[in-house]
Amino acid sequence: MLPARSDWTALLGRFGLVLALIALIIALSLQSDRFLTYSNIINILRQISINAIIACGMTMVIIGRGIDLSVGSLLAFTGVVGASIAVAGASPWLAIAGALGLGLLLGLWNGAFVAYAGIAPFVVTLAGLTMYRGGALAYTEGRPISGMPDLIQYLGYGDFIGIPVPIWIMVGFLLLSHFILRHTSLGRAIYAIGGNEEAARLSGLPVRRVKLFTYAYCGVAAALASMVLTGRLNSAQPSAGVMFELDAIAAVVVGGTSLFGGRGGVFGTLVGALIIGVINNGMNILDVPSFYQQIVKGGVILTALVIERLVAMRR
Amino acid sequence: MTLLTMRGIEKSFGSFRALKGVDFDLADGEVHALVGENGAGKSTLMKVLSGVLRPDGGAITVQDRPVTLNGVADARGCGIVMVYQELALVPSLTVAENLFLGDLHGIVRYGPLRRRATQLMTDIGLDIDPGREVSVLSIGEQQLVEIAGALARKGRILVLDEPTAALSAAETDRLFALIERVRREGVGVVYISHRLEEVFRIADRVTVLRDGELVGTRSVPELAPGDVVRMMVGRDVRQYQRARQEDGAGVLGTFRFSADGLEAHEIALRRGEIVGLAGVVGSGRSRVAETLFGLGGAGAWNDQPIRSPREAIRRGIMLVPADRKTQGLVLELAIRNNLSLATLAKISRLGVLDFRSEEAQARGWIERLSVRPPQPAKPVVELSGGNQQKIVIGKALAIEPKVLLLDEPTRGVDVGARAEIYDVIAELSGEGIGVLLSSSDTEELIGLADRILVFREGRVTAELAAPFRNEELVAHVTGAL
Repeated sequence: MLPARSDWTALLGRFGLVLALIALIIALSLQSDRFLTYSNIINILRQISINAIIACGMTMVIIGRGIDLSVGSLLAFTGVVGASIAVAGASPWLAIAGALGLGLLLGLWNGAFVAYAGIAPFVVTLAGLTMYRGGALAYTEGRPISGMPDLIQYLGYGDFIGIPVPIWIMVGFLLLSHFILRHTSLGRAIYAIGGNEEAARLSGLPVRRVKLFTYAYCGVAAALASMVLTGRLNSAQPSAGVMFELDAIAAVVVGGTSLFGGRGGVFGTLVGALIIGVINNGMNILDVPSFYQQIVKGGVILTALVIERLVAMRR
Repeated sequence: MTLLTMRGIEKSFGSFRALKGVDFDLADGEVHALVGENGAGKSTLMKVLSGVLRPDGGAITVQDRPVTLNGVADARGCGIVMVYQELALVPSLTVAENLFLGDLHGIVRYGPLRRRATQLMTDIGLDIDPGREVSVLSIGEQQLVEIAGALARKGRILVLDEPTAALSAAETDRLFALIERVRREGVGVVYISHRLEEVFRIADRVTVLRDGELVGTRSVPELAPGDVVRMMVGRDVRQYQRARQEDGAGVLGTFRFSADGLEAHEIALRRGEIVGLAGVVGSGRSRVAETLFGLGGAGAWNDQPIRSPREAIRRGIMLVPADRKTQGLVLELAIRNNLSLATLAKISRLGVLDFRSEEAQARGWIERLSVRPPQPAKPVVELSGGNQQKIVIGKALAIEPKVLLLDEPTRGVDVGARAEIYDVIAELSGEGIGVLLSSSDTEELIGLADRILVFREGRVTAELAAPFRNEELVAHVTGAL
């Protein structure tokens, strides 16, 4: 597997994350017998699915040493466009394709400015964050679009052999992302560019096209998440997805992917999303007031990064 | 008077004993060279001295006082200052600001700061304007500023780690003049270098380390360069000389290049020919490889322009860049992943990687290039400089190039790995690959090249044919001829 992790501290660093999750689960199940039940676990998985889907795209961008702050707004914009196609009476398949297509386009827009114009990803996608939100609001005149066809509702509410459809979509997208990152030459190029862009360029890798791909993929990920959310709510809101970019980045970094690029993977991101999801769920079960929940969540993110830093220093 | 003694210094990393009871001492006004192959323990010893690493055993005294160095601040407190290969200046600040960076407090008054800096520069005989921004200085000038900064911090013991690696001959002369000056004021200098001629030029004594052990400390006038090399490698090594092939091999093609500050020129390359490019830093020599790899300027191969590295690689031209860490390797990736970086298409089908074929390719290169340790899964960041360089070369050879552009292929590489790299280059020539070898090491050029082009002030000023004489080549390069 790649990158090589012969180093035991690296193994510990990765394993430690799973251990932290297990410790968290044990602690919470001791606190409340409502926590470790089949229905609650399914519930947690369904709750994290939207964040995890976005975070898969975000992982790819961050491994390539970029960042995408526009995903929350992009989700809102693609959601309302897809929903409007659906309520106009067109095939729901066309609605989904429209949403994903718009996500691809907006992702390419981000990626083009980063890869070909050489503008800092933070700035480009910060502009995207504002523009796509504005696009969603202008498109709907600020009103939600409700009454989704069955197929789209199925994406958010459906159930396939006893397990909610959002979980299936999350797992499928996770496996696809993992396959691209670890088993294709494209994925290898993403690690190489994130690790040392100059060396990648001098090795003849198509640096700009690969960067463009990561943003396009991230745009599609957010659009896919928008369809799941729209189905779940049976409505698309132009104000949906506010701060989703931060949740996604949190899952990625808690999951051990380095913000400096070149290192990490989507399984770590899943664990990161699970840790955040379990904490949210646990605090709800324990009736922690929501203001305090935010403090705890931020503390957990900070702790994860401090631990990562300590492991990196021992290396 | 003795400034520093280190006795029986021990340091282990896990089960690996990096230092096995090493002794070292330094007198005031002395330049004491520390030499040894990569991995001999020089850097570890100096990290102990500068407080970066804590020794497992042994004792250190500074001016006859026993000291414990638990950090860089402790070492600084004892007047020990390290100047690393990678410079530690802030490029966007001025020389004066950098010199006194550590003791700027509260509101900075620029007048007095500048006066202090000017005074310091005059004292040590440097003519660098303290008001200039560091980013506009040459590497050599930055090095001199670093040393000035060390003296500003009242350094009594100055450690210079490969200070001339990136310097031109003139800059080296300035550096040596500065070292002469500071030693006269009683500063002791520890001088780490791979370049023995410098050791013989400047050092009073030399200490040789091998495999973490002290081989010996000798007075330089009693030694010949061959003695030091024998102490370093434990065997008699003669200067490398490649067996040259017969003339008359077919023509491989013609390079044409020009760039800003580089006059147009063309090189007709025969199969298996090694053309050496000589010249000091700034002579235009290093820009040649850039233009021919599509990195700026105008380069053409057989009348077709080369506009990007991808295009160059497609046409069988590959560069081994001068700086392996920033240009050659993805440090966190494994050996096998670095080796396949330029040949991902070869080890994949429809874009899906075939890990087995990648592993097989890696094992082949590891064996051919004698990479140590021979572990394809090891991250390259854990390899020595010489072995990292072998990986960069292996990556380049994997594309099966027709022409190889080598830019400083053995910079910072120890003697043993250097000989192995030379053997590989000679083999390539035997296989008919054309090589442009750009190097600041004249002995390297003489040992390998079939002919040598000398660059000066942006143009080719001489073309020398074998047999070469080093004095003649150096005279051309430095402009003495």
